[in-house]
Amino acid sequence: MGIDIGKFLKNPEYEIKITTYRDIFQAEALERDRFGEEYRKLSAAIMMSKNDMKRMGFKPGDRVKLTNDNGSIVVELRESKREEPGGVAFMVNSPWSNALVSGDTGGRGIPEFKNISAMISLAKEEVTTIERLIIVR
Amino acid sequence: MVTCTCTGCALLCEDIDVIIENNRVKEVKNACRRGAARIRGCVNRLEPSVNKKQADIDTSIKKAAEILKNARSPMLFGWGNSTCEAQVKGIELAKRLNAIIDDNSSFCQGLLIERILKKKFRTCSLEDIRNRADVLIYWGSDAQDSQPRHLSRFSYFPRGEHRQHGYEEDRTAAVIDVRESSTAKICKGHFYRIPTGGDRELILALMDALSGKVPKYDKRVLELAGIMKKAECGAIFAGIGLTYSIKDDPDILVALADKLPNFNIMPMVGHYNMRGFNENLFKETGFVNRIRFEGRPVHNDGYAVVEALRQKSIDALLVIGSDPLSSLPGSIVSHLADIPVICIDPCVTLTSRIAAVTIPCAVSGVESGGSAVRMDGRVVELPGIIENNHLSDQEIMTGLMEAL
Repeated sequence: MGIDIGKFLKNPEYEIKITTYRDIFQAEALERDRFGEEYRKLSAAIMMSKNDMKRMGFKPGDRVKLTNDNGSIVVELRESKREEPGGVAFMVNSPWSNALVSGDTGGRGIPEFKNISAMISLAKEEVTTIERLIIVR
Repeated sequence: MVTCTCTGCALLCEDIDVIIENNRVKEVKNACRRGAARIRGCVNRLEPSVNKKQADIDTSIKKAAEILKNARSPMLFGWGNSTCEAQVKGIELAKRLNAIIDDNSSFCQGLLIERILKKKFRTCSLEDIRNRADVLIYWGSDAQDSQPRHLSRFSYFPRGEHRQHGYEEDRTAAVIDVRESSTAKICKGHFYRIPTGGDRELILALMDALSGKVPKYDKRVLELAGIMKKAECGAIFAGIGLTYSIKDDPDILVALADKLPNFNIMPMVGHYNMRGFNENLFKETGFVNRIRFEGRPVHNDGYAVVEALRQKSIDALLVIGSDPLSSLPGSIVSHLADIPVICIDPCVTLTSRIAAVTIPCAVSGVESGGSAVRMDGRVVELPGIIENNHLSDQEIMTGLMEAL
């Protein structure tokens, strides 16, 4: 019986919970130039605890794909500098995080900006550009 | 050197010194990073356009008026970055058009501001906080990143009239959050981490503890309840982390406030004049957002910008001082590709890039004056400090009314 190579090549996916936050440096970049490199660098990123990254076999600087029913984006993975117990990953609120937010609000008009479920896996693609996020889906 | 009021957030700091050279901002003093960046201005100023072709401003305004006039169900959205004077004109415009009007508070702090205006919460001024507050609870609020001078100007660090020893002795600050935020790092020792969506459970546990019952919760809740009980003048600074978490039952916070007679509730507002819009619309209609004028004002959650876009129930959208393509869920903004969008903003935004009509405006507080309402309800004057040729939001609203 042959070895199932696909099993080893398959890019493992993990479920994660993401919450969003505000960052003064990103807000500053937004005021200056929301199409600029600085804003992209500070927005198109996800922070995870060291433990979560280790468990998933990721390392800081990896590009990861985040996918759910609402959208799919590629961002850079960073290790959280804060003390985090793990289990939740963090993104600065931006068009990148909003690509993953459901529009279903149960009729109340307030989306779950801070309570996002997605799948995470290593990505070969480049980080999603802001131009790509303007293309109205 | 001139002094201006910062419109970077709803603290509306009035102590900003600006050095102007050749009618341009050379240096900004006293402001936080965000405020300084706003006063210095963006790199991509918006140009007037119609159907992606450059146009003069009058043509843009006329085309915008034509779109709004021909729409059956237009929406006017944004307003948090406009002066009160522009907001009042915008409400008049909505009435004239029988349009829907909504603002960012619809998916932000509207729930709590409405309760403040209906006097369901005790609240106070930021000066009261500075002079009297001894227990400060930042709940789902990272002021250090969102309203960066809140702790230094008003809450934790100042030596207020009755708090001469400031944070060293007279004040205790605690943070309740899902992450160790920048504000939590400052309030070391009083950081209470909760799981995402765990705010309601903590409120219930605190209410038990404050009533002398033993809560079924981490025992640190007793320590927090103890700090709150001892407060002579306490404040809960309610951030959107808390508001989002209790959005299905915001009155649970009213119930907690009722158990804390020495506490004030202050929603932490981001956009500099979101509260102004809420107050102006409230005066006119009794509601803070989500209104359609149909001869009389009708309030409905279906008039929330998120619901209107999701249900594709509007056929034209005027956006002023907001970037819904950036700040709303990607999954619902596709409707913007199907309807004419009018974008009024000082800068190029994601929304302006897809807009049928763009109308550049002055940066309020820098290039145009007016008034705005601080997060605590105080009206603050904004002097314009730079001469320029851009129309103010208010002038654009007047132009639209005239073109109609």
